[in-house]
Amino acid sequence: MTPSKTNDDELNAIQNINKIIHEPARLLLMAHLFVVESADFLFLQRQTGLTWGNMSSHLRKLENAGYVAVEKEFIDKKPHTTLKLTDKGRRAFKEYRKNMKQVFEDLPE
Amino acid sequence: MNQKINLKEIERKAYTSYHQDGVIDIAIAIPIIAFAILIVLDRPGLVGVWGVTAVMFYAGAKKALTVPRIGYVKFPQQRTERINAGMIGLAILSLALGIVAFMQTTESGTPSWLAVLIENYMLTLGLLVSALFLIAGYTFRTKRMYAYALLTLVMFVAGHFIYFPLYYYLTALGILILACGLFMMIRFVRKYPKATETADA
Repeated sequence: MTPSKTNDDELNAIQNINKIIHEPARLLLMAHLFVVESADFLFLQRQTGLTWGNMSSHLRKLENAGYVAVEKEFIDKKPHTTLKLTDKGRRAFKEYRKNMKQVFEDLPE
Repeated sequence: MNQKINLKEIERKAYTSYHQDGVIDIAIAIPIIAFAILIVLDRPGLVGVWGVTAVMFYAGAKKALTVPRIGYVKFPQQRTERINAGMIGLAILSLALGIVAFMQTTESGTPSWLAVLIENYMLTLGLLVSALFLIAGYTFRTKRMYAYALLTLVMFVAGHFIYFPLYYYLTALGILILACGLFMMIRFVRKYPKATETADA
């Protein structure tokens, strides 16, 4: 493989990084939703340490991208909002992990 | 935000945070102390009532104390399967414990192998209760349950050699676990005040 070909591959791998997920707060939210089936706002806030407003705006971006689904349900007659990763979101997160591993594996020592 | 993203650690933290409230410790301590009191009152068979009370306390406290403070989460199916397996193990061991405890109080017409277990009832109970704690520790991923298992084993093995009535050991064990649970509950309530903001408001 020629040096220019290697550089092209590395550039491609970096360009393939999902920029929606790559933002640190959104990555943290995606990672937390990836390991559970569903969670509410409060749980995510306690686990991530993000502020309410910050979290809402990032979750809206993830929802708009189709990665997070917001579900309204009634628990003990009270409205409750739960969040979960969509299939698209799970696939995107797995792809993101793979790409990130690829980028760092390809870097020279 | 300089946290390292480690999915296993995130999953572990998400899961264990649910059991840092001391509720499970108190729920375990209730039937232990109740059993000690019931032995004194010569009504050990009624411990089942306190077992049910402990389960109701656990469910109620989680709903009233834990969820409003750290939120609601549903774990994936493989985790709930682990809990179900653990619960079945706990139920089987509890039944065995109940039989040994019951036979210890009646001691009539028992087979020889059971007679040996009953004769050494402190060791038998110590092993069974320790096994209960080990299963609970595995099921709920709470390391302090392993410490309770060790404590139980040490106390009951000591009880085999140093004679004091069984209820002394049960009371001491129950009070230690209850104190630990209350300490954790107070720490939890202080650390996580009730949320004022809500997405559903």
